Amino acid sequence: MDRNEVIVRVGGAAGEGVQSAGLIIAKVFSRNGLHAVTYNYYQSIIRGGQSWYQIRASKNPVKSQGDDLDILIALNRDTLERHTNPNINEGGASSLKGVAIYDSSIGNFNKYEGVKYCEIPLSQIAQKYSKNTLLKNTVAIGAVFGHLAMDFEILAGVIRDQFGGKGQIAELNVDAARDGYNYFAEKYGKADKVLNTSKTSYYLISGGESAGLGAVRNGLKAYFGYPMTPASSIIHYLASHSKKFDVFVKITEDEISAINMAIGANYAGIRAMTGSSGGGFALMTEAVGMAAEMEIPIVIYEAQRAGPSTGLPTKTEQGDLLQVIGASQGDFPKAVFTPRNVKETYYMAGEALNIAEKYQMPVFLMVDLYLAEHYETVDDFELDPDIERGEFANSDEKDYKRYEFTVNGISKRALPGTKNLMHNEDSDEHDEKGDVVSDAVTDPEIRNRIMEKRMRKMETYMKELTPTPTYRMDDAEYAVIQWGSTQGVVEEAVDALRNKGIKAGAIEINKPFPVNPDIKNLVKGKKKVIFVENNYTGQLRRIISSEIQVTGTLVRKYDGECFYPGALASELEKVIKER
Amino acid sequence: MAITMADYKGTVKADWCPGCGNYAQLTAIPMALSQLGISPENAVIVSGIGCSSNMPEYMKAYGFHGIHGRSLPAAQAIKWTNRDLTVVAYGGDGDGFNEGTQHFYHCARRNSDITYIVSDNQIFGLTTGQASPTSRIGMKTKTTPDGNIEPPINPLSMALSAGATFVAREFSGDVKHMQETIKKGIQHKGFSFIDVFSPCVTYNKDNTYEFFRDRVYRLEDEKHDTSDLIAAFRKAEEWGDRIPTGILYEREATIISDIDPTLKENLIKSPIKKLVPEDIEEFL
Repeated sequence: MDRNEVIVRVGGAAGEGVQSAGLIIAKVFSRNGLHAVTYNYYQSIIRGGQSWYQIRASKNPVKSQGDDLDILIALNRDTLERHTNPNINEGGASSLKGVAIYDSSIGNFNKYEGVKYCEIPLSQIAQKYSKNTLLKNTVAIGAVFGHLAMDFEILAGVIRDQFGGKGQIAELNVDAARDGYNYFAEKYGKADKVLNTSKTSYYLISGGESAGLGAVRNGLKAYFGYPMTPASSIIHYLASHSKKFDVFVKITEDEISAINMAIGANYAGIRAMTGSSGGGFALMTEAVGMAAEMEIPIVIYEAQRAGPSTGLPTKTEQGDLLQVIGASQGDFPKAVFTPRNVKETYYMAGEALNIAEKYQMPVFLMVDLYLAEHYETVDDFELDPDIERGEFANSDEKDYKRYEFTVNGISKRALPGTKNLMHNEDSDEHDEKGDVVSDAVTDPEIRNRIMEKRMRKMETYMKELTPTPTYRMDDAEYAVIQWGSTQGVVEEAVDALRNKGIKAGAIEINKPFPVNPDIKNLVKGKKKVIFVENNYTGQLRRIISSEIQVTGTLVRKYDGECFYPGALASELEKVIKER
Repeated sequence: MAITMADYKGTVKADWCPGCGNYAQLTAIPMALSQLGISPENAVIVSGIGCSSNMPEYMKAYGFHGIHGRSLPAAQAIKWTNRDLTVVAYGGDGDGFNEGTQHFYHCARRNSDITYIVSDNQIFGLTTGQASPTSRIGMKTKTTPDGNIEPPINPLSMALSAGATFVAREFSGDVKHMQETIKKGIQHKGFSFIDVFSPCVTYNKDNTYEFFRDRVYRLEDEKHDTSDLIAAFRKAEEWGDRIPTGILYEREATIISDIDPTLKENLIKSPIKKLVPEDIEEFL
């Protein structure tokens, strides 16, 4: 562990408690003042199959799930053999060079070099306390921290919280963990080097939860949705907290209903959101244009998974960018946000609600499975709201026009219930007052003016576009352009290149549409521009090259798995050295 | 000052064909609203797409003219957001019983507290005369030149089976009667559904004013028990020489705001949640 970090992986079949074991481990790290990032590798199956959960932790900030596997908990033989085999093929994950923890009853298996095999009678110990076979996971978790020689009481605290306080089940889990902790320490000894810890405790939170929390902070009052992986984590969080936060959560008959309800709620005057993954979002498409035409604010949380169609339901991809930007017929103003990490998701959820109301247009909060479902430690959240609701007309407004042709394109809203301001909001083309111009007499002049008024909102919004974030770009010779969740892995790959003397830097796109023209300046004079994208065709590159004529070499991955920093660094180096 | 029909008079003149059944509803709905003392700023008319769905353009109230088949989701959310508003969804049989079918079914199941009036003319009008989900078997239209081969759906039976708590039928040839039923529908706590025979004088030569006038009768003139679900089904299925109008079924039931604690207060007026450190302790 000379890297002063540790990477732990728990592997087993679905239903064997892989994810909950992984989360307990991650929480123990965060309560020890370590930064952590997790990654959930799972399948679309409830029982069986092959899944694993990886946790990387360090005193220093960690930005991705990392490469070098130090400790493996193998809950079955398949996992033990698969993850110790140097020819592992799990989408870029490394094989184990370190400690393998597994049950003595596992039988014969293939052994590989570089692995310290630490057999433990996990089931036997567990049976002392309970017939529940999942208890052996707790014994194994205990063994991990016995190996790492970390404070047992912190682990005990996490277990108690996990199992609901100081009840009997919690206590027998604590006892089982203690046995595992002591067994490992006595039989195999502790790790050569102890991890630095600190007294701080970090928040451990997923992207989906962060999006929900960030929206609540900025006044979310209702969420309408339909279950679809990986857009379910936000619904689960909001539904389980609806009473606490006074947020109305409705699971609807379909995604079409979800978005039309969310638009209806915004029309009536509250902040409401909807969300789905690509398939469900496809159903919402028509209503996106309706919101734009009627100038009703709407925020759509779009959590990408590997497509096309049902595709890989539990796998990550950045394949929906063109779908989102191109959703719905006709031209209309819109904004797309792609937060780069869990913390940024929190703030961008709130910002999306502000921009949607201020400009009365659709705003997309796009994440992917990797960001929505993985956990990161966050040091702090600003809890005070930062709400900007845009303009509303009062009942004493003279000569009110709902869609008044203003210079900045923004017209005052009048909510139903407001005296004297009755008007019609129409998906048909209309004039300033909201009266339809598409039926009896189509008026090309008015059509031009209302179209231009709506599109002026885009120009106004462009003026407040935040600068594109960058990483180590000041003296960079090579620019790596990434978007959304790949930030951490790209930054780590950039660091690795820098360590080899290659002056790389990253341009990090968190607002891909409308395209920020400042990217043009950022790439000026660079020897090479490389796009890193978790998709097949380089969707961001297609948008940026068509909008501002910036292009470059594409480094891509479309196997359903996320990038890994080591492999990405090698690939970038190869591209940089190509003539 | 008492609210009158004139308060609901819009500035845009309706452009339906002369004789269109929709004109009757354009009278009956504002009449019902004003007679109930509901002021125009507290009325929201929500519609989808089709001839009838142009209704919000012709009334002075708050209008939400959305997309085909989707009036009910928007209407429900508007009511959940601000329960002080009276929300009336209005549209045609194509809008409501094709693309809108599952919203209709689920809205009824939820007993959402809105009134849904369907201008049922058994044809697509705005797209110039194609078979609709309520067109009779054998009807010749642009899309069924040899006659429609699909049996029509029965909106009343569907509403009853979905658990609707107020189910009625009206006819554009009897505005006064319709207006009374709409008033009762608006006053009903929960989902009220009123299917209106509203002749399309241009594209439907089968289901004309004469056709209905010869057949319709009023349920209240017979001994119909509106609390009897089975009797309501029987009346819903009655078709031929005699076709019933009026209230088929009505019962009291809870609505979502009786049950969901987040709707205990009117959502539009409930304060915004201010996050405190305890709210994020669970992540520590």
